[in-house]
Amino acid sequence: MCLGLLVANSFLDEIGPYTLWGMGYGIAATTLLVAVFLYALRRRSARIVSRLSLGRARSWLYFHIYGGALFLLLLLMHTGFRFPTGILARLMWFLSLWTVLTGLAGLALQRWIPRALASGLSIEVLYDRVPDLIEEIRRKAEALAATCAEPIQTFYAKNMAHTLEGPDRRWIYYLDITGGVQARLRRFDYLRDFLSTEDQSKLGELQRLYKTKLEIDAHYTLQRLLRTWLYAHVPAAVMLLALVALHIFTVFYY
Amino acid sequence: MSKNGTKTPPESTPAGKPSKNTGPDKTIRKRAAQYSDRWSSYSLNNNITYISERLSAEDLRDYEIFREYSDNFLEKISPDIASVVWKKDALLFEEGTYIDLAFYVVEGEVEVSLEKGEKGTTTSEKVTAPGSAPPRGRADESRQTVFLDMVELSKELAKRSESKNITMLSAMDFNLPRDSKTRLGPGELFGEIGALSGWPQSVTARTLGDCRLIQIRLPALRLMKSKSPELKQHLDRLYRERSLYSQLKHTALFRGFGREHLEVLTDQVELVSLEPDQVFVHQGQPADSFFMVRSGFIKLLQRLGESDQVVSYLSKGQTLGEIELLIDGIDTWETSAVSVEYAELIKIPKRVILEVLAQQPKLEERLWRSAAERVRNNGMSRRNLSHSEFTQVALERGLVEGSSILVIDLTTCTRCDDCVRACAATHQGRPRFVREGDKIGNLLIPKSCYHCRDPVCLVGCPTGAIHRVGATEVVKIDPEICIGCSTCANNCPYDAIVMHDMDEKWPEDMIPSGLRGTPRLQASKCDLCYGTGHDPACVTNCPQGCASRLNDLGDFEHLFKGK
Repeated sequence: MCLGLLVANSFLDEIGPYTLWGMGYGIAATTLLVAVFLYALRRRSARIVSRLSLGRARSWLYFHIYGGALFLLLLLMHTGFRFPTGILARLMWFLSLWTVLTGLAGLALQRWIPRALASGLSIEVLYDRVPDLIEEIRRKAEALAATCAEPIQTFYAKNMAHTLEGPDRRWIYYLDITGGVQARLRRFDYLRDFLSTEDQSKLGELQRLYKTKLEIDAHYTLQRLLRTWLYAHVPAAVMLLALVALHIFTVFYY
Repeated sequence: MSKNGTKTPPESTPAGKPSKNTGPDKTIRKRAAQYSDRWSSYSLNNNITYISERLSAEDLRDYEIFREYSDNFLEKISPDIASVVWKKDALLFEEGTYIDLAFYVVEGEVEVSLEKGEKGTTTSEKVTAPGSAPPRGRADESRQTVFLDMVELSKELAKRSESKNITMLSAMDFNLPRDSKTRLGPGELFGEIGALSGWPQSVTARTLGDCRLIQIRLPALRLMKSKSPELKQHLDRLYRERSLYSQLKHTALFRGFGREHLEVLTDQVELVSLEPDQVFVHQGQPADSFFMVRSGFIKLLQRLGESDQVVSYLSKGQTLGEIELLIDGIDTWETSAVSVEYAELIKIPKRVILEVLAQQPKLEERLWRSAAERVRNNGMSRRNLSHSEFTQVALERGLVEGSSILVIDLTTCTRCDDCVRACAATHQGRPRFVREGDKIGNLLIPKSCYHCRDPVCLVGCPTGAIHRVGATEVVKIDPEICIGCSTCANNCPYDAIVMHDMDEKWPEDMIPSGLRGTPRLQASKCDLCYGTGHDPACVTNCPQGCASRLNDLGDFEHLFKGK
């Protein structure tokens, strides 16, 4: 429909922000931007939305995604596919592009990260509880290591203690969710042959704790990316909305 | 578990890893032991004037019902037996409640009645439930429909079950006409059918005067029944007299049959009680009977090479033996059958069912339908090992129990926690689940109420605060009358009920008095957003559409295999 309008516009009038057509595109883009922004409000008002039966969050998200993409098209039609002049206009143009592109990046992340997390990890972790979980693992491992023979204690101090200090983000998890876990666990196997049966079982328990920690790290790394992405998208969108309000005010006032 | 036996919100263990109470073994063990420590809730009852300490074997021998047992045996079961004196007009149980004990009348009389149900009124408004705290303020409106009318409830359940081709049996303790009463005196036993079948009571029982009762909890009742052929015979006779006819009449198989046909069955069937993991049918052995499940779950196994493969399972109301009965040339069992937990079955000799079959052609049609389904299931499991694997998992994790299980597809879940936030927003800031729990393949089963078909959490609630809403599957807690005894939380095999510390103490005028001044706890669980007028918030507010509520194992399996 937009493309149809654009073709009609090109035959009937100049394509640009100051024509009636261009103003129309601008109004449509602004309306769409506000509508798309409502998704953020919906997430914070679940109770009211549910009570008023205003639709499922999934439908809202689809509208947010497609509406956001359409907004960019309308914006480009509004500017006549030209780079705008003026600081405010340029800033809005950049912010629009940035918001839509980060939105698309977020969409890609939301498709990729859940699959990655589900594909190779045996545990599921709540992001907010990662530090607590690691602290718990560290305490358990430390207490267990203290009861072990000297070689295990040395091994613990050298290979495990620093890993268990806190959550670690590792780049390798972006490429391979099980990134090097097996290689790291193999170190335990080298030591196992030199231990008594009792210590072997303790080492086995330490190995299990260590593996859990590495899997938590993988969750932490990827879930953090999903959360960090919001900082790239949401503030820009809010700023864009504010600038659009300012833009409308200046257009009508001056 | 805290030291006072209450559950606190889940500890910080990674979800997906079996936590302290999750893994399949734990669940099964917990289900088997879920009837322990129940007297505490009854002792809160203010209609009780006396409740005995643990009775010795010698004490128990004073009562006729225990005389035939050895001292060792009586010592073993005595923790589950109490002698209790109830006041006049005390309510023992009411229509629609779940109980896990049988009552043996020693002194006094008990009146059992099937009251005339009136829509819009609750039985709990008319009488005070055992041990109840007086409702504070206006009780939850949904309670208005809780104990409507058991006849209506049975009809509704039958209607639902018919559409799902499942039969639901209710605990008809007495074949009483509506609005009638009967009296039970010394030496009589009652309540045992509801206790053994795990279904709600169909009648109301109250004392006519001061009454001394021996209360026998389910574990003891089961042991007594298995130990004593005489007691089993006695209980079976009671069941036949009071309940079997009504139950058969309501099953999908025998619905619409005349009294004469059903009476042939009630006279000749055998009632079978099974322990967990008891094999009662062996593949390859002569098939001389037909079975119907009264309570519990049965798994069907077929030999595949060196191992047994789970091909299907049976739940309440389902039958076994149609294939062997109908198909010429099949005279031996096609599968072995093993009880998953305590189970009660009705065993009909082949000869008897053939007699009924000869007189009732529509029975054959119904049996063929069931047989076709069984053949399809067995074939599917043989061809497709993942079907068998799934059935096994579903039985171990209790998925077969649930009527509405929250499932999160981890391949699309972005871990945004909008589901939990929406739940909190709908429930005054207190979410009814956490996004943690069992991981089955790429599906997460959070610790959220399954709304079990056979909800053991309802058993033993001293105030009836936890209840099933009308003829729905929704299991809900009425916060107004919950006294925080933790019975439901301790009963739940899936850790789906959490005790919240309300940060206040019970007032000094609290009834029962035992709670006065103690910290106020309140049980909290998923209520499927019942009464809010919308679908469960966790599902509608999931932006990725990865949270769903499943009530059909087929859908579950589809999701499970799709990942």
